[in-house]
Amino acid sequence: MQIDTIRQLPEYAALTRARKKIMWPLSLAVIVAYFALILTIAFEPAALGNPVSGGVTSIGVVMGLGVIVFCMIITGIYVYYANRVLEPLAQAIRKKAEGNA
Amino acid sequence: MKFNAPFALILSAMATCAWAQASSTKSVNTIAIIMFLAFVAVTLGITWWAARRTKTANDFYAAGGGITGFQNGLAIAGDYMSAASFLGIAGLVYTSGFDGLIYAIGFLVGWPIVLLLIAEPLRNLGKYTFADVASFRLQQKPIRILAASGSLVTVIFYLIAQMVGAGKLIELLFGLPYEVAVVIVGVLMTLYVTFGGMLATTWVQLIKAILLLSGATLMAFLVMVQFGFSFENMFAEAVKVHAKGNAIMAPGTLVSDPISAISLGIALMFGTAGLPHILMRFFTVKDAVQARRSVFYATGFIGYFYILTFIIGFGAIILLLKNPAYFTDGALTGGANMAAIHLSQALGGDVLLGFISAVAFATILAVVSGLTLAGSSAISHDLYATLVLKGDRDEKKEIRASRIATVCLGVIAVLLGIVFEKQNVAFMVGLAFCVAASANFPILLLSMYWRKLTTRGAVVGGGLGLFTAVILVVLGPTVWVDAFGFTEAIFPYKYPALFSVSIAFIGIWFFSITDKSASAAAEQSLFDAQFVRSQTGIGAEEASQH
Repeated sequence: MQIDTIRQLPEYAALTRARKKIMWPLSLAVIVAYFALILTIAFEPAALGNPVSGGVTSIGVVMGLGVIVFCMIITGIYVYYANRVLEPLAQAIRKKAEGNA
Repeated sequence: MKFNAPFALILSAMATCAWAQASSTKSVNTIAIIMFLAFVAVTLGITWWAARRTKTANDFYAAGGGITGFQNGLAIAGDYMSAASFLGIAGLVYTSGFDGLIYAIGFLVGWPIVLLLIAEPLRNLGKYTFADVASFRLQQKPIRILAASGSLVTVIFYLIAQMVGAGKLIELLFGLPYEVAVVIVGVLMTLYVTFGGMLATTWVQLIKAILLLSGATLMAFLVMVQFGFSFENMFAEAVKVHAKGNAIMAPGTLVSDPISAISLGIALMFGTAGLPHILMRFFTVKDAVQARRSVFYATGFIGYFYILTFIIGFGAIILLLKNPAYFTDGALTGGANMAAIHLSQALGGDVLLGFISAVAFATILAVVSGLTLAGSSAISHDLYATLVLKGDRDEKKEIRASRIATVCLGVIAVLLGIVFEKQNVAFMVGLAFCVAASANFPILLLSMYWRKLTTRGAVVGGGLGLFTAVILVVLGPTVWVDAFGFTEAIFPYKYPALFSVSIAFIGIWFFSITDKSASAAAEQSLFDAQFVRSQTGIGAEEASQH
């Protein structure tokens, strides 16, 4: 099947659109979360030493461990979305391409 | 080439003799030695098994493409979690608390980026190395030379850091002379890679990941159980015994100015997505679905591991600072990097100490094997096959070249390990990440997503990124002042990634859009076909049948 024919498939348009919709926002979320922490470390380090709720555990430690957990959650969200939305579209395209090969 | 079992036996005999000699002078942990020898025996057995299954280039570089997503996720974790990051981060937490967490986070945040932007198109477009992807629609020769240079620079710096760390660690743990330790590491990694290729390397990494994760889990559990599984109780106790008191809960001196902070962040986040030994692992799975699954598991394992390391660092503060037995002349015996090792003894006596020591050794072997394989693939698949073999794609010759390159890299790694023994090599991992972020990552990312990229843009911009990263590190405080002994650095910042990554991207952009040659137009017109393949996997390399 010709590349141009594949590109004109409605599933192809849907796939690239769906991927863009998830890929860039999630990437941006990770970048923003990480650099927000890095910039706070750079400009307001003392603020991160404040306790969360009267104890010893500081805001910085909670935010730091939070970013680690956040990264794991982001990868989970993407894989869930990719398996549910992206993969069926990609499979449909591959099937049509094979059928017309 | 046959796997030489007698040679391997001679090697183990050599090691045992050296130990027998060493043990007469220093106290040596027998459990550590037995566990280490068991690990070596098992991994050499795997290498022998893998050697019989490694026949084609696809077997050698990509383990035949038959690794599952879960296995690959674990192997990626095994490839990535180095002894340096285990002992180094635990040591940094032990010394200054929160600062250790900054590194731990940095080493993890690259993974979502690898998953979201890189993993699937990489698997769909490439065959064995990331240069396959970068040169997909560009000119083979210049792009492969550049990509291989970026890979080799990254691999060599990373390798030096690991070899020196390995030598020191083994010297301390097993009482072996530094040079003997470095040679043993070099010989073992060369054996794994030369004979067993990617299949043996993958299994070494898998076993190591399981050992390291269980060892660290056990240690963190034994720490947390003392505080009723309450972080608050643990932190409260640590603040009480640490000389810096409450300051260990906030950023300290690791990141001193905003430029360095942002630079370090960029290097760690985007460097991960440009590490050749990591990128290479994505060609061992069947398709993009498995590649995606690999990163999901890898991120989970690596993130979990760094949380454990953080707990282990705090455990070390509480349990070691009160106990003078772990100190020599007022400082922790063997330096702060030994915090996790001493803690294992404090928690579980000689048995746990032996186990964690053997795990640390296994960790080093798994990481250096992955690096060596990536380096030899860059030499054989990107340089030798493109420049020497040219159109004559003879797999046998290519694999032979790869094996020769592996042996050469093994020798180089041992020599550099011995040369750099007395140097502070901690900056080299940072430099490896910086080069990966400044040269490999921009070329790879833009070749996948930016239509207007041309060969000229990639070569000039990527070359500038590579060059700037290396030069600025040399002129900066870590090399110019700390290593060369000058009083003032020419370039004031420790981490140059902010500048070198920007220069790479601007260079690639500028020299691509101003490229009006006919070949540039042809390269840009190939983008659509490449994008279809990267998105759908149509035409992607398939796993070989076994």
